[in-house]
Amino acid sequence: MTDAVNISSRVRLARNLREYPFPDRMSDAQKAEVIEKVKAAVLNLSKKLLFVNLSELSELDLVSMVERHLISPEFADKQSGRALAVSEDESVSIMINEEDHLRIQVILPGLCVEEAYRIAEEIESELSLYLNFAFDRNLGYLTQCPTNLGTGMRASVMMHLCAMSETRTVPRIATNLQKLGIAIRGTYGEGTDATSSLYQLSNQVTLGISEAAAVENIRNIALQLSETEKLTRENLMQSMEYQDKISRSMGILLTARLISYNEAVRLLSNVRLGICEGIIDNVSIDTVDKLIVSIQPASLMRREGRKLSPQERDKVRAELIKSTLR
Amino acid sequence: MKCQKCKVKNATTHVKRVVNGEYEEYMLCGDCAHEMGFDNVFDMDMPDMFGGLMKSLFGALPSRSGAARCPLCGSTLGDITNTGKVGCAKCYEVFYNELLPSVKRIHGNTTHSGKTPGRQAIPEKSKENSEKEIKEQIEGLKKQLDKAVEVQNFELAAELRDKIREMEGK
Repeated sequence: MTDAVNISSRVRLARNLREYPFPDRMSDAQKAEVIEKVKAAVLNLSKKLLFVNLSELSELDLVSMVERHLISPEFADKQSGRALAVSEDESVSIMINEEDHLRIQVILPGLCVEEAYRIAEEIESELSLYLNFAFDRNLGYLTQCPTNLGTGMRASVMMHLCAMSETRTVPRIATNLQKLGIAIRGTYGEGTDATSSLYQLSNQVTLGISEAAAVENIRNIALQLSETEKLTRENLMQSMEYQDKISRSMGILLTARLISYNEAVRLLSNVRLGICEGIIDNVSIDTVDKLIVSIQPASLMRREGRKLSPQERDKVRAELIKSTLR
Repeated sequence: MKCQKCKVKNATTHVKRVVNGEYEEYMLCGDCAHEMGFDNVFDMDMPDMFGGLMKSLFGALPSRSGAARCPLCGSTLGDITNTGKVGCAKCYEVFYNELLPSVKRIHGNTTHSGKTPGRQAIPEKSKENSEKEIKEQIEGLKKQLDKAVEVQNFELAAELRDKIREMEGK
């Protein structure tokens, strides 16, 4: 379950078929062959996945999948020669012909990187019965970009570090984590600007460290950061100003008629903190987490079933937030 | 996302760096990244001044293994250093010596540890594993072997067979 600090855990495994060039150097015919081979293997999995060619999906569907972290923006950008396998609950997805032939991804709520890895590994093992994955004894699993060599695994935790972001401790921690081969960066909002104080913690080194050790590292760091965040929150909550900020955020969300995505996320981040600290009690954390995903532009338009201008979106967004939080 | 510098082209390069203890992160387009000196992972092997020259020479020279091009995908070493992307699995074999310094710089390491095909990730404390656990692992491998034979993946089956022999020999 999602908790006060840890929103979701994600594990991604990169794999390639030995007998084909990597995606950037494949012909259209080879891409189609890889899709067929992977499709046959995916249909044999004990976990049932839905298999679609990317060109069958609308742009809105694709972008909203990016917003739900199901697929990467790069993957949605070019549809030809690519396919996607996804489980009904969207916890498992396999991107075919992204940067690597296969990108197996598992995303689960809360802090459960081990569980996410376990599921991803199970799927990978089953697939390896039908597909010959490129592997070298020294370099491990071979990937198009050498930054993923070895385990091909990226494990990450999405964290709500609102208090630490307020006290500006995140950049300092980022520098220290970098030395451990771990990155922390803001998600949502543009580039560095972590308006929502949602951060993603992930391993950078994939060669020379086993999956189990890398997963354990990420989990330990996430636990330590959670503790620091909780202590910082307690201190922050002593100030009447901050309590006021939280109540005002809720006030704006409940009354605004037009609201931009960035403003909404910033205010929802405050509300989320308010719920965790017992200042707001009529809304659940889960509701806020879901709202943060569903108020993004494409998800909003998909919900409405049509394209909306930015101003129309701000209006629809304000309405959705009001009706959900009331 | 648009490039944060020119705000015109699409950002394709994600840059993270630490300057004076401050962590910075940018999303840049290829041109701006190049202008600011952030090129692909292989470029840093060469001194800035001679980078371009070296690369063009490098591309034309045969690799230490003797091959100028990868026989599977046709990539030259120049193609790989120019794009930062390796052509295919075979390239890693053909250009192994040339790629190794970059790999070492990225990961600080050049030897894989962890899962190998057809086997669970090696547990961290494998030396302390009791005999019972090893037996269980062998049983698991045998099941996978049966399955591999069933679906006629003989390559994997052979790998599994060797691993079982190796483990039983211990």
